[in-house]
Amino acid sequence: MAEIGSSQPAPGLRTQFAGIAQLRWHIFTHSLRTVRGRMELISWIFIGLGYAVLAAGGTIGLGVASWYFVSHDQTRWFALPLWIIFLFWQLFPVTATAFTENFDASNFLRFPLTYRSYFMIRMAYGALDPTTIIGCLWLGGMTLGAGIAEPVLFPWAALVFGTFAALNILLGRMIFAWIERWLAQRKTREILGLFFFLLIIGVQFISPLTQYYLHHQSRGHPPFGIALTGNMLAVQRFFPAGLAFSALSFGVGGRFGLALGALIFLCVYSSAFFALLNIRLVAQYRGENLSESPKPAAGRKSREALQAGWDVGGVSSPVAAIFEKEFHYLSRSGPMLFPLIMPVVILVIFRFSFANAPRGGEFVLKHSGFAFPIGAAYAILILSNLFYNCFGTEGAGIQFYYMSPVHFREVLLAKNLAQGAILAVEMLLVWVAVAFLFAPPSFGITLATLAGAVFAALVSFTAGNLISLYSPKKIDWAAFGRQRASGITALAALGIQAATFGFAAIAVFASVYFHQMWLATILLLLFAAGAYRGYTYALSRIDEVAIKRRESMIAEICRA
Amino acid sequence: MDAPAIATEHLSRRFGQLIAVDDVNLRVTPGQFFGFLGPNGAGKSTTIKMLTGLLAPSSGRMEILGVDLAKNPVEVKRQIGVVPEGMALFGRLTGAEYLNFAARMYGLDRETAAKRTAELLDFMDLASQPKALITDYSHGMQKKLALAAAVIHGPKILFLDEPFEGVDAIASGTLKAMLQRMIARGATIFLTSHVLEIVERLCSHVGIIHKGRLVAQGSIEELRAGVQATAAPDSSGGAPAEKLTLEEIFLRIVGGERMAEHELSWLK
Repeated sequence: MAEIGSSQPAPGLRTQFAGIAQLRWHIFTHSLRTVRGRMELISWIFIGLGYAVLAAGGTIGLGVASWYFVSHDQTRWFALPLWIIFLFWQLFPVTATAFTENFDASNFLRFPLTYRSYFMIRMAYGALDPTTIIGCLWLGGMTLGAGIAEPVLFPWAALVFGTFAALNILLGRMIFAWIERWLAQRKTREILGLFFFLLIIGVQFISPLTQYYLHHQSRGHPPFGIALTGNMLAVQRFFPAGLAFSALSFGVGGRFGLALGALIFLCVYSSAFFALLNIRLVAQYRGENLSESPKPAAGRKSREALQAGWDVGGVSSPVAAIFEKEFHYLSRSGPMLFPLIMPVVILVIFRFSFANAPRGGEFVLKHSGFAFPIGAAYAILILSNLFYNCFGTEGAGIQFYYMSPVHFREVLLAKNLAQGAILAVEMLLVWVAVAFLFAPPSFGITLATLAGAVFAALVSFTAGNLISLYSPKKIDWAAFGRQRASGITALAALGIQAATFGFAAIAVFASVYFHQMWLATILLLLFAAGAYRGYTYALSRIDEVAIKRRESMIAEICRA
Repeated sequence: MDAPAIATEHLSRRFGQLIAVDDVNLRVTPGQFFGFLGPNGAGKSTTIKMLTGLLAPSSGRMEILGVDLAKNPVEVKRQIGVVPEGMALFGRLTGAEYLNFAARMYGLDRETAAKRTAELLDFMDLASQPKALITDYSHGMQKKLALAAAVIHGPKILFLDEPFEGVDAIASGTLKAMLQRMIARGATIFLTSHVLEIVERLCSHVGIIHKGRLVAQGSIEELRAGVQATAAPDSSGGAPAEKLTLEEIFLRIVGGERMAEHELSWLK
């Protein structure tokens, strides 16, 4: 008998890469077996066209800008595009939705991978990210632009921008590797979610605060904008984009020692990011299990009195149970809960941005009556995720709905009631915020906005219920900011919301044209009545759809 | 005569070209503890999914307590409790919230739901961590919770898909105690399991499915007698048929000795 494994050659990196590429290809081709998979591909093509326009436009634009900066001795402006590329590269993947499968490369660790192979696989996944491709193309365009303007500069620009691209790839991979670690446990995941949310809100306040200081600067001091820009220019040179800028501008100016120094510092940054990435990947390679979560320790039996479920008047017991469950889920989901205060945040930003603006502030304050409809519209947009993928967070629990003696129309009615209640709270918050920040909205505008919100909500419920059944997507709690969204859902939701706002705009224009605000209310209530008919009709037929879609629903929402 | 607890007629399910369940005629009488056995991929889970409304059959009929599942699914679901393969838990609820939720989905009022929730959490030894979310429970705790949710409304039939898989001896003991109580009060239990020792100890009747077809059905004694009647006197060279364990009966019915005839080129 042959000895087990005695004749096995060591697997080569190329063989393993080819195997993984083949695996990805099989996953892709198998996804096209279903109609939904083919529809997803079509929607990805549309989304990909958006990326392509961004990539091509940015490459050409940045190439031309780069040529202009070099040929007209304006190299100091290089800092601006480099910072834009840097921020786009690092922030876009965190905040944007990933339309590609999130593939956990640590699954391959059960195979005989060398650490080098594992590292390369992790880096290869980063290189396939749309952001990385777009970032590389933009930097390529800048290199070409600089090279055309001054051919002798081309090798240096290629070296500097190439190092900058490598730094961005390493930093991006490093950030995600560490975020994965923090996302592995629920508590750290929620803290991280709150941190990102506060970061995003903080960024929104930069502009209004700048406006505020510009407006209130004291006499005798240098203008705030100039002082701030001066400080930022001085500080930014020590950061990656600033160092890339310095390396290039010193190179153009013939100060090669300084240029080389800046490039070396850029390499030091890259090495530091590489080292931090390496720490994470080594830990994973050695068998760290990211999915482990602390189990509740056995303790004394709690004798706390168990509370009965919520008493929701006027609805059946199952509808009340689902209504309650929806609120429990929402209260335990940072990424879904935090955005609910965004409409109020946006109103605050709106208020301070325009109030401090030299021109436009008076206009905004004069027309502040529109703040309530704008805030309400924003609230409806924010709730789209809840409306259009309402089973995404259920996980294995989705089977329970199919096993229990409850019609799916009751399940969706309960979910819609919960969504409606959240929307009502949002509207109240927005109204109070508008009254506090601007002036209480008039009775006519309040009524028209509420009528519009009812219309938009009913349309969203109807479409959202159907899309949630036809194109469900599991929401992965451990993938903050990179949820696999359904392309079909994204496009359909966009189209439906555009149409809804179009109808609302018709009502508003009609009322403005005839100088009768009540006309908008009447029209919107008529639209809402039509939408209600559509909603009840769709709800009465929803059980057929749910039964027809049960296998694919369970397969998608329960997937590991 | 009482209607059978579970009855299927020519039940089949295809996935494309694959026939997962082929013309199955099952009959389980009320009060039976029925073990549904089969090798991996034989069609056990597909059958249980069809019987509980998670999967549509390609053809055939299913009656639960005399009610046609296709015509009156809500009425059937009211009478049954299910622990499916994925346990159907909502990870972001606490154990108490989930049981309360399950009870109310089956139409129990708030007070009854709260009372039964508290009793079940105590019985299943799950009351010590009232604020822990299900997602943070161990696998055994999740199995116990899933079973608690399946029995909270007092079902007449309980469907369990691999209830003992990945469960330690202590949790397994609790699950068995619960199942014995259900049988004692006249419920019917239909379970699938790979652990044949447990099935032999708990079940009075078994059905064996192989390559989608129901190849044997009856009490363990009937199956033993059947194997004895069909086996050649010295074919196995093993123990006499009346002493055969369920595992031996199972292997003889599904042809488990087949693998020994085949050899792998690199393990010769």
